[in-house]
Amino acid sequence: MTPPKISDALIILPGRYRTLWEIPVVMLILTLIAAFTANAYWISTLTSALAIALAARGIGVLYGLLGLVSLCQFALIGVGGWTMLRLGHGTGLPFELNVLLAGVVAAAVGVVWGAPALKLKGLYLALVTLMLAGAYQVVISATGFPDGGQGWLGRADAIQRLMLERPVVAQNSTRYLIYCAAWATLGFMAAEWLRLAKPGRAWAMIRKDDRAAMSAGVNLLVYKIIAFAFAGFLAGVGGALLAGSVGQLDGRAFAASESLSLFALSVVAGVYNWYGALIAGLLLRAVPSLLTDFEINGYAAIVFYGTALLHAIITAPRGIAGQISGLITRIKALLGRKTPPRQATRQEDS
Amino acid sequence: MIRIENLTVQFGAVKPLDDLNVELDAKICGLIGPNGAGKTTLLNVLSGFITPKAGRVDVDGTDLLSLSPVRRVDLGLRRSFQTEQVVEDLSVYDNVLALLDHLGVARAEARRQVSKALHFVGLDREAHRMGAELNLYQRRMLEIARGLVGAPRLLLFDEPGAGMTESEGETLRETLLAIPDEFGPQILLIDHDVELILATCSKTLVLDFGQFLTYGPTADVLAEDIVKRAYLGVDV
Ligand SMILES: Nc1ncnc2c1ncn2[C@@H]1O[C@H](COP(=O)(O)OP(=O)(O)OP(=O)(O)O)[C@@H](O)[C@H]1O
Ligand SMILES: [Mg+2]
Repeated sequence: MTPPKISDALIILPGRYRTLWEIPVVMLILTLIAAFTANAYWISTLTSALAIALAARGIGVLYGLLGLVSLCQFALIGVGGWTMLRLGHGTGLPFELNVLLAGVVAAAVGVVWGAPALKLKGLYLALVTLMLAGAYQVVISATGFPDGGQGWLGRADAIQRLMLERPVVAQNSTRYLIYCAAWATLGFMAAEWLRLAKPGRAWAMIRKDDRAAMSAGVNLLVYKIIAFAFAGFLAGVGGALLAGSVGQLDGRAFAASESLSLFALSVVAGVYNWYGALIAGLLLRAVPSLLTDFEINGYAAIVFYGTALLHAIITAPRGIAGQISGLITRIKALLGRKTPPRQATRQEDS
Repeated sequence: MIRIENLTVQFGAVKPLDDLNVELDAKICGLIGPNGAGKTTLLNVLSGFITPKAGRVDVDGTDLLSLSPVRRVDLGLRRSFQTEQVVEDLSVYDNVLALLDHLGVARAEARRQVSKALHFVGLDREAHRMGAELNLYQRRMLEIARGLVGAPRLLLFDEPGAGMTESEGETLRETLLAIPDEFGPQILLIDHDVELILATCSKTLVLDFGQFLTYGPTADVLAEDIVKRAYLGVDV
């Protein structure tokens, strides 16, 4: 018997980040279509859908990549929105900087709210995060969002409410839609980059099994914190953009049930593909609008979401985005230019 | 070398390991015993998932029990699991790279090590495939490959041969035998396949209900009456 042959040949695989360019291209095409065809009502619906899509991508990271259920993501949009309005009214900082700061604050809050995940999983984590969303609902409906007033809470009286100024480059609503699409594109790309790089590998190990991850040297604490921080950051940026869209936010719009819907729709839309987040944003914003168009009670949306969630869990665990992705793969195969080729392992002797 | 002193693990009334004392000095060391003997428990103590009630474990002079599981990986401890833990949605290549990520290895060196490990276990042609696409044999070999990167010092394998066909088992045997010379680590091997243990392990430890039964050259150990009785279920 011969011992196994040992080779020094290096394994060269197709570039790890070769699919990243798809995100800006798809986003550009969709944004241009929307900008040129949508009426004012749909422009504003799509703008908030984009903002929410960013937060949904955060759920994609937490649930799709780590397997952690977090039911307070919509509340983190609120945290970002609050920070944005507070900074926008209270400081002279540029809009973009405020967006980033809103992301950072929501990231910090997201890490604190995610802390139970260091001990809890599954149903227990879901319940704890839902309670946090509930606590946020209580606080924000009492304090409301800053609207140009004095004091730490920044509340004005009802007559003197101020709107948040939009950025200079995006004063009208069509331009603001494009502006939000640019942020969303960056957010999606950052998430995809993390998925393909070292954190993504560590997250995949954690999703598989905590012990297997630890025996691969993964520091669970560090990589869970990175995920919660990033998911919170995306939600915060989304909240900031949402605040800029309307110019103000309504404390009553941040009920815990919104976080629940956002999670359910993220699963329905698909947490394993970046465009699943886009679909989730559309479902959460466009479905109620459509129902209103057809003069159906808004609560019917809940029934729709529940049914869609059941469908997703039972027949399509990878969600709508997963079905689209499967379709694209099949079309590519039909066209006979399937990439990467099955024999992608080129070997170069060195 | 693994030196184990007075090691006791207790779960409620069960003592999966009861005052174990042994020095495992074989380069490839077998670990056998009937179901529930405490074999996996010993591996879990070594990798840091179970804190023993009492005892000391020393690997090449390092006091193991004071270190966190991740720190043990830094120092060269690697393991596989009784139920395989290949990540389905990472490529074969990334399944191995995931381990090097946390060892501060430069990119070019990481590529070299992953390539070498995958060639060694015969998975180089599958490097681009997803973990989900692998069959059981390939998954087991991938777990071994994971153990070979980043200067391993001690490999713990929990029934790597379970469910393999005879010819696959033969390749596994050849692979295991070649590891110490090629990569340097000591191996602690659990398997129910006595043939595999006999062919690869120069010495073997036998446990029975958490008790030390015997330790010595594999062929001698397997010939002992107490082992035959306890492990092979043979009446002597
Ligand atoms: N976390 C735990 N909690 C309680 N009891 C446990 C735990 N882990 C193991 N045990 C018990 O310890 C004993 C030894 O289990 P262990 O898994 O180490 O056996 P083993 O030798 O690996 O057996 P097998 O050959 O079936 O894999 C068993 O009785 C088992 O039920
Ligand atoms: Mg076992």
